[in-house]
Amino acid sequence: MQDDTTAADIMMGDVVRLEDVLSRDSVTSVAKSFYALFGLPVRVISHEGDLLADVHRDRPLCNYVNTLGNGERECTNTVSLVRDLEPNAETIVHPCFTGAVYRIAPLAYQGRPIGRVIVGPYVPAETQGPPESLTSVDEAVDVPTARGHFQQMPRVREDIAEELCAHLKGVVELLVFSGHRAQLASTMQVASVRENYRELAEKNEALKSSYDELKQLDQLKSTFLATVSHELRTPLTSIIGYTEMLESGAAGALSDGQSEFLKTIRGKADQLLGLISSLLDLGRLEAKSLDLHNEAVDPRALLAEVGSTIVPSANRRNVTLDIKVADATAKIWGDPVRLQQIVLNLADNALKFTHEGGEVVLSAEPGEMDAGGPAGLGAALFSASRPAVVLTVRDTGMGIPEDHLSRIFDAFYQIDAGTTRSHGGAGLGLSIVKQLVDGHGGKIEVTSALDEGTIFTVTLPAADANA
Amino acid sequence: MQVDFAAKELTLKLVYYGPALSGKTTNLRAIHWLGTSNACGELMTLETQNDRTLFFDMLPITVSSQSGLKIRLKLFTVPGQVMHNATRRLVLQGTDGVAFIADSQRSEADANRESFLNLKQNLEENGIDPGRVPIIIQFNKRDMEDVRTDEELEAIAYQSREPIYKAVATRGYGVMQTLRGLIRETWDKLEEEHQLENKFGVSPVRFMNEVELKLKHEPGRRER
Repeated sequence: MQDDTTAADIMMGDVVRLEDVLSRDSVTSVAKSFYALFGLPVRVISHEGDLLADVHRDRPLCNYVNTLGNGERECTNTVSLVRDLEPNAETIVHPCFTGAVYRIAPLAYQGRPIGRVIVGPYVPAETQGPPESLTSVDEAVDVPTARGHFQQMPRVREDIAEELCAHLKGVVELLVFSGHRAQLASTMQVASVRENYRELAEKNEALKSSYDELKQLDQLKSTFLATVSHELRTPLTSIIGYTEMLESGAAGALSDGQSEFLKTIRGKADQLLGLISSLLDLGRLEAKSLDLHNEAVDPRALLAEVGSTIVPSANRRNVTLDIKVADATAKIWGDPVRLQQIVLNLADNALKFTHEGGEVVLSAEPGEMDAGGPAGLGAALFSASRPAVVLTVRDTGMGIPEDHLSRIFDAFYQIDAGTTRSHGGAGLGLSIVKQLVDGHGGKIEVTSALDEGTIFTVTLPAADANA
Repeated sequence: MQVDFAAKELTLKLVYYGPALSGKTTNLRAIHWLGTSNACGELMTLETQNDRTLFFDMLPITVSSQSGLKIRLKLFTVPGQVMHNATRRLVLQGTDGVAFIADSQRSEADANRESFLNLKQNLEENGIDPGRVPIIIQFNKRDMEDVRTDEELEAIAYQSREPIYKAVATRGYGVMQTLRGLIRETWDKLEEEHQLENKFGVSPVRFMNEVELKLKHEPGRRER
């Protein structure tokens, strides 16, 4: 079936050609059973003139007349006339010169002619003997033979023939109806799938373009952050430099009040510089342009260094700081400056959110990490794991609500705005830590219980594997 | 509209639209039941799932006018469920008129509105101007509880651009009036756009008389 036919079908639900909805096999089966039951020949012809079913057996009478010159001609004429007769609304009964008749009933569907059924030839039971048109059709007719063959023709009473024909017509029209229904259902199915696909494809296209737009905006944001941070840092360096010079007395002796003010300026300027550095780091990390200078780093030294940096503030807040390194812990393969940044950031956070009298523990122990196989698949091809160092930063602080855990590594994310005011920070620390850990090929995980504390676990590749 | 000048035949497509379970298929069933058998063909129900329409139902009606013009009306329903929007849009292609079957229950007011907006959108997507296609509205299920009152419907009808009909399709009340109203609106619009009277010699009044005659209930087939 062609596509334009399909479109018209859907639009109007019309049968375009009888053949599209009526299978030759099924209509032939019906004709065969009709023939078997009543002995009447059946032909089904479409409106376009295609023969869809033809069930008959040559009768001796027909064979006989076809042996006669005039008989053959008359027979051919009658048969082709009957085939081409198209009844309008009523059944036509067309006589044959042999005395038999053909009954031609129109097939209609939804108010339109779609074809016809032809029943016959048969002899109406009411007919007495062969007509003169048979006995005189040709000079060579042997009347007793013709009469004998005539008697063997199927005989049906006309009122019964009419009923049988109407019944056959009804059955064929029913076949058309169910064939049409099946055709429409399958056409609709395909058309609906196509239409759904078209709709989805359009939506996907729209999503993709808005995704691209967002990506572009994100890129713009990163560039903007990097530029602004850079431009902010330059004058800030001067502010810090000149403040240091003033503090050192380069511009003359200072009063206590002046020194105090300068100290505040210096403190705030340092804080600002830290924030700007974080922004720059984030920009570089997002642009994947941060270079890591990897080497074997001793976790003991790393944790001790971080410990010594935060111990004053721990003491100030009356928080116990503990460092534990397991004996067999290997060295870490990483950039010492960035590793320190990772641990310091986590430790600083831990301290920030731990109440007075609480505890912060930094620890290192040997571990293993996934060697990069696709989640357990093809284990034969990938070594399951490789040595790693597990660093943990555990606190006894307020904890992180569960619904926030998945977002704490997002840049600028704060659990609540109040945190910023009471604890400072721009919500960049954990985002930077996560990106640095990722950059080292490691992973970071967090578990937390409200009012009990939080544990950050950083797993980094051990140096042995790379050394 | 499809016109076959050679066969003097005109085919109109009329679509029953509306929210899920508002009674579109029930309208067609009732027309099939009430209409004369020489006008109404077989009701074709295409693929249902738990008695819900998946594709569409179709009821062909043939009216032969005295001028010799044969008018074929094809009544279609759409699947009402939201997820079948693609099918609804397909069925709506080439429609000449729409009967919007609304549910009279107050609780269904939102579903009615949503479906009407969906109709408008799908007409537009099929390149049919919703402002120019004949639409009538049937408030069905008048026998249910907590429905909009007759007074409310009268007030709505007074303001409405579309003619309003009331029906209880399960019992056949109002379905023929709705159908005749839809045919009248559609024919008037087509007369205005295609001058059918000039071309086929069928005046709107005469045509509607013939429709009335053809769609008159057969004796014994009453609204139940």
